Amino acid sequence: MTFSGEFLAFMGIALVAIIGGVLLLNLTKVVHMVVALIFTFVAIAGIYVLLSAEFVAAVQILIYSGAITIIMLFGIMLTKHDDENEPKTGKWRKILVFLGIVGFAFAVYIGIYNFNIEQVSTALHENNTMQIGKALYSKYIIPFELTSVLLLAALVGSIILAKNEKKGADNE
Amino acid sequence: MIEELLQSSPGWANFGIFFLLGAVLLLIVLGFVTYGILAERKVLGYMQLRHGPNQVGGKWGLLQTVADVLKLLLKEDIIPKAADKPLFIIAPAIAFAPSFMVLATMPFTDKFQFADIGVGLLYYIAVSGLTVFGMVLGGWASNNKYALLGGMRAAAQMISYEIPLVMSVLGVILLTGSLNLNEIVTHQEHGWFILLQPIGFIVFFIASIAELNRTPFDLPESENELVAGYHVEYSGFRWAFFMLAEYVYLFAMSALITVVFLGGWLAPFGFLDFIPGAVWFALKFSVVVFIYIWLRATLPRFRADRLMEFGWKVLLPIALANIFLTALLKSLFF
Repeated sequence: MTFSGEFLAFMGIALVAIIGGVLLLNLTKVVHMVVALIFTFVAIAGIYVLLSAEFVAAVQILIYSGAITIIMLFGIMLTKHDDENEPKTGKWRKILVFLGIVGFAFAVYIGIYNFNIEQVSTALHENNTMQIGKALYSKYIIPFELTSVLLLAALVGSIILAKNEKKGADNE
Repeated sequence: MIEELLQSSPGWANFGIFFLLGAVLLLIVLGFVTYGILAERKVLGYMQLRHGPNQVGGKWGLLQTVADVLKLLLKEDIIPKAADKPLFIIAPAIAFAPSFMVLATMPFTDKFQFADIGVGLLYYIAVSGLTVFGMVLGGWASNNKYALLGGMRAAAQMISYEIPLVMSVLGVILLTGSLNLNEIVTHQEHGWFILLQPIGFIVFFIASIAELNRTPFDLPESENELVAGYHVEYSGFRWAFFMLAEYVYLFAMSALITVVFLGGWLAPFGFLDFIPGAVWFALKFSVVVFIYIWLRATLPRFRADRLMEFGWKVLLPIALANIFLTALLKSLFF
């Protein structure tokens, strides 16, 4: 088996993504977890680049960098600065969870190992920004518009919530 | 050349070539930063009727920045006792790395470009948004209230001004029909986008100053309110990394404005074609950098609430109106 550049890049990026995910679960401070989350999301963007989905990769970073910043700010503002997690659970539970993970990994391995994906030649990687745009505004126009209505409703809702709070503060 | 390298089978030779190219670009950028800082201090000096640095390195103070960097290298490396050590160490690196990554797609001339990817413009804006993590993390990890306030301001400002920044270039994207920076440049052969998109350019320029954290939008690090904002507790080389990130962004943003609005390496008139593209690029680039310095010398700082209002209630509606207008003009005339 030869190591192609793509393979090396994939292994590096996948490792970063998985390590980020594991650290997200294991770290104790909120801000540390958010940093782990950043690494996971950026690594996933890297995987999109490897799949030649450049537009999706750039949007992934663009959207999530704002979103994670907001999560981080909430994490800083809504949690205690020196708060620690409650102590870890007992030994038996750990062993059971470990067995569960091994079983799941085994099942997935069995399922994937002989799974035959038919190689179909596509033109999806060429000019994919334009292709996404065309699909979005012709074939998927109704879901797209529905999503924008949903976002608008969320925006209006958040404005109303913020307004009410201010009025309450004035009355007091 | 890069295309061939990317498609060849991997080996140590490829790694060496890529590493060397990266190192050369880094040296060029460091050279720019060294003399960009000196230029900024000299121009600010003359605008405020004084001389600026004129002692180290001859009459023009040519070695002043080099001496400053050496001083920063020799300084004691201080990590506050109450700081969050791992984050405190990693924050300057997180702030700096994206600033260098964005340079990869920048077409300096038609030959001198590292990665010609289809979504170059979007890539720049997306990756440059990652720097804000470094600032917020640095502010939080310092365990200092001024630093935290600076980090918070940085986050709010970067997110708010990223939106008008993206919206204002949509006009250019509409006219070009592509996000690729090379195509944007070649599309400007018959007229720069600063002429076709004046409103978009002004909105983009204002939002870019806010993204660069320069006066009048330097609230995250305003000296006289927050001492120095998110990098109060930093000293020595870690502080230098934050400064480096800021000036590399100045380099990158000036290059981006040159590419997107000022026609990149193209000559302004056909008969001036004999002058190489690199010279044109350097000239336009220097003008943009000069305007940034000029604005810093002339405008006072915004108030924090005004800054938010300006971004959301002025720039964003104007940018949206510009998109609408551009779409209308495109469907009528082009």
